[in-house]
Amino acid sequence: MMQLELRDIEKSFGEKRVLTGISLTAEGGKAFGLLGRNGAGKTTSIRILMDVFPADRGQVLVDGAPINYQSLKIGYLPEERGLYPKKAIADQLVYFAELKGLSRKAAAASVDRWLERLGMAEYRNKRLDTLSKGNQQKIQLITALAHDPDIVILDEPFSGLDPVNAMLLKEVVKEQIQEGKVVLFSSHQMSYIEEFCDRIAILKDGHVALYGDLHEIKRSYSHDRLVVRTQEPERIRAGLGDCCSVLERGELMVRLGDETEKRQMMQRLVEQYDVDEIRVFEPSLNDIFVEYAGDAGKED
Amino acid sequence: MKQFRRILSFELKYYFKNKIFVGVTVFLVLLLAGVMFFPRVKEGFASGSSEADTGGALPVMLVRAAELEEEQPGTGRAEQLERVFGEAFAGYEVRATQEDVKTLREKILAGEAACAFDVTGDTSYTYYVENRSMFDTNMEIAGAVLQKLYQMRAMAEGGMAPEQVEQVMTVEITGEAESLGKDQRQNYWYTYIMIFALYMVILLYGQMVATNVATEKSSRTMEVLITSAKPTAMMFGKVIASCLAGLAQLVAVFGCAILFYSMNRDYWGDNFVISSIFDMPPMLLAYMVIFFILGFFIYAFLYGAIGSTASKLEDINTSVMPITILFIIAFFVVMFSLASNQVDHMGMLVCSYVPFTSPMAMFTRIAMSTVPWYEIVISILILIGSVIGIGVLSAKIYRVGVLLYGATPKPGAILKAMRNSR
Repeated sequence: MMQLELRDIEKSFGEKRVLTGISLTAEGGKAFGLLGRNGAGKTTSIRILMDVFPADRGQVLVDGAPINYQSLKIGYLPEERGLYPKKAIADQLVYFAELKGLSRKAAAASVDRWLERLGMAEYRNKRLDTLSKGNQQKIQLITALAHDPDIVILDEPFSGLDPVNAMLLKEVVKEQIQEGKVVLFSSHQMSYIEEFCDRIAILKDGHVALYGDLHEIKRSYSHDRLVVRTQEPERIRAGLGDCCSVLERGELMVRLGDETEKRQMMQRLVEQYDVDEIRVFEPSLNDIFVEYAGDAGKED
Repeated sequence: MKQFRRILSFELKYYFKNKIFVGVTVFLVLLLAGVMFFPRVKEGFASGSSEADTGGALPVMLVRAAELEEEQPGTGRAEQLERVFGEAFAGYEVRATQEDVKTLREKILAGEAACAFDVTGDTSYTYYVENRSMFDTNMEIAGAVLQKLYQMRAMAEGGMAPEQVEQVMTVEITGEAESLGKDQRQNYWYTYIMIFALYMVILLYGQMVATNVATEKSSRTMEVLITSAKPTAMMFGKVIASCLAGLAQLVAVFGCAILFYSMNRDYWGDNFVISSIFDMPPMLLAYMVIFFILGFFIYAFLYGAIGSTASKLEDINTSVMPITILFIIAFFVVMFSLASNQVDHMGMLVCSYVPFTSPMAMFTRIAMSTVPWYEIVISILILIGSVIGIGVLSAKIYRVGVLLYGATPKPGAILKAMRNSR
């Protein structure tokens, strides 16, 4: 499987240091989540990866060797969507695919295939601005995929899609992953990242604040909290005191003084109260993101 | 290179599919056809109608010589006047009249006559007309006619034979002008038209380049483009496509003009303006193409670079103003020199080497005066050098500009970003 690596990437615009040493590795056949708040350096990293401008320091490597933009194809769905509003859809899609190295014939065939795949074939010769926002988004997705890229970068791919189209896009993304491509995901919708990505990197102020396997990250959190689903939350709260807080209706969070108290506490809960379910609390990606990317009171 | 070719053909297609571009070209060609075929059509109609109609169409000029008749009765002065006025004013139907001045005035105001001469003596007259046009030369003609009559009569009274008088008064002087350099009367019209075409095309297409780039940025198409193609390929593809489109339009319009003229040459007869326009030497056409292409590139590169710094389409107008003003000044310097017939003064000499003005200034000098070959070569070399320099500079601005969003950056900020982008 292909391996894409950013190694020690640094970039400044004038006085402003935008990236202060980004290192991460994404593998083919898996989706990688690139997270971070606005201004954390995601777009700059993507642009360096796509050779829009060079890094001040550091390297982009594919399988350990410097990336060759002539032979390797990259597909990009930018967060800021936009195509030629007044031009026929197929015309511009073929044009973009040709710019990325396809012959005209291959580009036309691929565009037709994708229009068909996304249920957009009837709009082939329509102007882009006659389409709804969701359909325009699907057209934009074709610009990222029509040239059959080795690396697919999707920036907020699900924003503006209705549930049916979101489902369609999910299928497409899964296909791309199954084909062994490197899929780079950037999104603020954590549920999608959790659904697709095995590995994540959270950027903050131009450096990697958290990086690794999402599953392992979650497991690495100490098991010192329990989630309890119960029919008698008031009784439990009264019995346990301060270490117990309400998560939502019928669900309580119990903080343990130490991980070693886990078994003892579980036993006590089962024996003394009417409990439906007890599990060890695992943070959601949302919780992890807020913990690593956010710092209260500071806007960037 | 493949990318560049693809961008070029995509942009060219944009022009040739653009309804306004096609519409304007077709309109200009039809307009030219209308003008160039006009004499032929007019003659077709004229030959179909009778002579009397044509005669009746002439305006009436009344000539009254009552006082003169009274003064010198029986000399036939009134008839003589009617005859010579008739010869002198070919555009009028000249009629002698005995009516009084009041009636003359009424007839003119009623539109029965266009004008009237009341000849009150051998050397005096009054001219009556409702609205005297700026180009009315009737008084000059009448003055010359009366003066000639007076001189002839004086010579006859002095004892000269009528034949002798006739010969003296109608002697013809022949002369020829031979211009050793250029005949400015001959060259004026086509130079004027070509400078104007150069001006219009560069300004229109230059602004189109700027608008195109800004549209791509404001619609965020740039996000996809910038990650699909090299900025230099994008910029040069765009500029060269618009240059070719402009050139194609010029060729279509001028080509049709020449074609239509050659089809109607006989009908235009010896119309000086028209024949001087189409007697343009082919060498000058070649210069026109050279200066058009080079001048176009200089301005289109700048327009492209400026277009890339604007985030919104509305910003374009203010951003391109300095370049447009520079170009308009160049145009006016050349136009004033052309109109005042002084194309070799110091200002024009300087302008014909400065790259922003030389496409028009040097072209005008070549057309209207005699310019040594080395001056032309130097001017063209400076222009080529500047095109390359400005092309490289613009590509650098473009590279940076397309990524900048927000308020239109100041020149200092762009320079800084360019240094940083290296």
